[in-house]
Amino acid sequence: MSYVSPEMRAKFDEITGRYPRRQAAVIPLLHLVQEAHGSLPAEAQREVAEYLGIPAVKVQEVVSFYSMFTEKPRGRHHLMVCRTLSCALGGCQEVSATVERVLGIRHGQVTADGMFSVEEVECLAACDMGPVMQVGDTLHGHLDAGKTEALIEELKKR
Amino acid sequence: METPRYLTRNFGNPGALAHEGYVKSGGYQALKKALGMKPADIIEEVKKGNLRGRGGAGFAAGVKWGFLPKDDGGPRYLAVNADEGEPGTFKDRALLEQDPHQLIEGIAITCFANGVHAAYVYVRGEFHKGRRTLEEALRQAYQAGVLGKKVMGSDFSLDVHLHPGAGAYICGEETALLESLEGKKGFPRLKPPFPAVKGLFGRPTIINNVETLSCVPHLISMGAEAWAALGCEKNGGTKLYCLSGQVRKPGLYELPHSTTLRQLVFEHGGGPRPGRSIKAVIPGGSSSPVLTEKEMDVRMDFDSLGKAGSMLGSAATMAIDDSTSMVRLLQNVSRFYAHESCGQCTPCREGTHWMHKIIDRIAEGRGQADDLDRLLDICDNMAGKTICVLADAAVFPVQSFLRKFRAEFEEYIRKGRKMSLVGWTEEMPEAPTAAGIH
Ligand SMILES: Cc1cc2nc3c(=O)[nH]c(=O)nc-3n(C[C@H](O)[C@H](O)[C@H](O)COP(=O)(O)O)c2cc1C
Ligand code: SF4
Ligand code: FES
Repeated sequence: MSYVSPEMRAKFDEITGRYPRRQAAVIPLLHLVQEAHGSLPAEAQREVAEYLGIPAVKVQEVVSFYSMFTEKPRGRHHLMVCRTLSCALGGCQEVSATVERVLGIRHGQVTADGMFSVEEVECLAACDMGPVMQVGDTLHGHLDAGKTEALIEELKKR
Repeated sequence: METPRYLTRNFGNPGALAHEGYVKSGGYQALKKALGMKPADIIEEVKKGNLRGRGGAGFAAGVKWGFLPKDDGGPRYLAVNADEGEPGTFKDRALLEQDPHQLIEGIAITCFANGVHAAYVYVRGEFHKGRRTLEEALRQAYQAGVLGKKVMGSDFSLDVHLHPGAGAYICGEETALLESLEGKKGFPRLKPPFPAVKGLFGRPTIINNVETLSCVPHLISMGAEAWAALGCEKNGGTKLYCLSGQVRKPGLYELPHSTTLRQLVFEHGGGPRPGRSIKAVIPGGSSSPVLTEKEMDVRMDFDSLGKAGSMLGSAATMAIDDSTSMVRLLQNVSRFYAHESCGQCTPCREGTHWMHKIIDRIAEGRGQADDLDRLLDICDNMAGKTICVLADAAVFPVQSFLRKFRAEFEEYIRKGRKMSLVGWTEEMPEAPTAAGIH
């Protein structure tokens, strides 16, 4: 198994033990693999399916249904720009446009150097701080064009 | 008057994130009290306290628990709904990040009352911080003997597991959540059978929202009567209101259940921004029918908002001022539902898609005179005809926007307007005739 290291396998065993049916562990396991490898190519999905003892198509279905899973690598910094109601009332359209302009890519794309990818997402449950963008684990609120540009400059240095 | 805080009492006190700090703030006393009660008495107490489910539907928690069949010796589960995704809602993320032990205590009391020995907390995938915070709190709760074989030294055993989602709004719907917990894509299930009878892994299951469960320790520790008295008739306790949009002070407000919409927006939220006036309010999440400024004297409990033709839903209150185009706003809402429909039922998959296309066309200045009636027609073919109520949720905003702001839509179409959501207008040099556009 090239995607599942022995240490990861031990973690797999622990997680799978929480459920009366092995298939229930598929989402947590896929998160672990994606965190370690950046994406979930077909081979990685097959290994998870094999480990759980379920058909590969069951894993494929899950990967394609849930928006956080990706078969292709994203940028080192994945920018999730909220486009939903409260953020729209606060002007998130400007944030979205600024991201595209500064990085020179459209939503759903990755920069040529692999540093950034951008995605418009639905409500991130931080609506009182709208417009909001989540980068990795961190939420950034009260954005406008200027702050968005400054944030990207700051991320470039990391 | 400053209202006493219960659910948010530890907010801004990072010490309470640790088991020790939580105990110091009075935590786990309610669980101790509950473990000395008869399970049936706890359920009775929750019924008497009028605790309504805070996930959206407002169903009485104690009544829901009463639907579990008699113990047959096999497993039964609690699924905790922490998939918060309803546009405008940000209370459960705050509860996870700022007081995870309060939730664990509520879970433990609920499980003890219902003879449940395994709970799964389904945490929205994007909530990295909430997940880490809860994970650490669970670890400490096991270490302190709050969870595990002998809960606080009693004979009761309980395991609580964290289960991450992976990005799908529909998994907040309770049966989709169960499918997702079983490792499948989040397709809602046909009901009946109801989860109380046949839920997770085919076994009796209770599903409750994070805020609902976080209320339980307070209800138990102060007693049903005191808890009920904090709210109003049939709506016990305090409530977390999520105020966002075009107001001076958006934020999370813990207030008595009897607070009016006007008080929330004007007194607590500080009213409109300088030079603006409030035009409309969406009181309980994007699916709740919109109310006009004149309708704001309604109490924000489940029944009063229902009578006013809207819903409290998840208490996600979004204020809209006079700079905003209702057409563009509805375009945003309808895109959300078209994007989030799971596609299982034809009326929902096709209906949300067509609604969005038509509203898009209107918003871009290419609306046709009969588009509004066409939209209402689509609504009639969706509501009540599907597996889950997402289709209804998509219909309510369209119907209510058109009922209350029809003149604005008609003018927009007639003048071939093209406005941004907030701010500028660009009118077509010549108003196109209906026949001239496609
Ligand atoms: C489309 C849809 C999305 C929902 N999303 C959520 C959600 O994110 N969180 C939640 O607690 N309930 C959500 N619900 C409501 C749940 O189905 C369920 O009623 C609730 O979790 C029950 O808990 P409660 O009784 O404590 O409110 C949603 C319902 C629907 C139809
Ligand atoms: S109503 Fe819509 S979201 Fe609900 S099950 Fe049917 S297609 Fe899926
Ligand atoms: S609408 Fe953007 S975070 Fe909720």
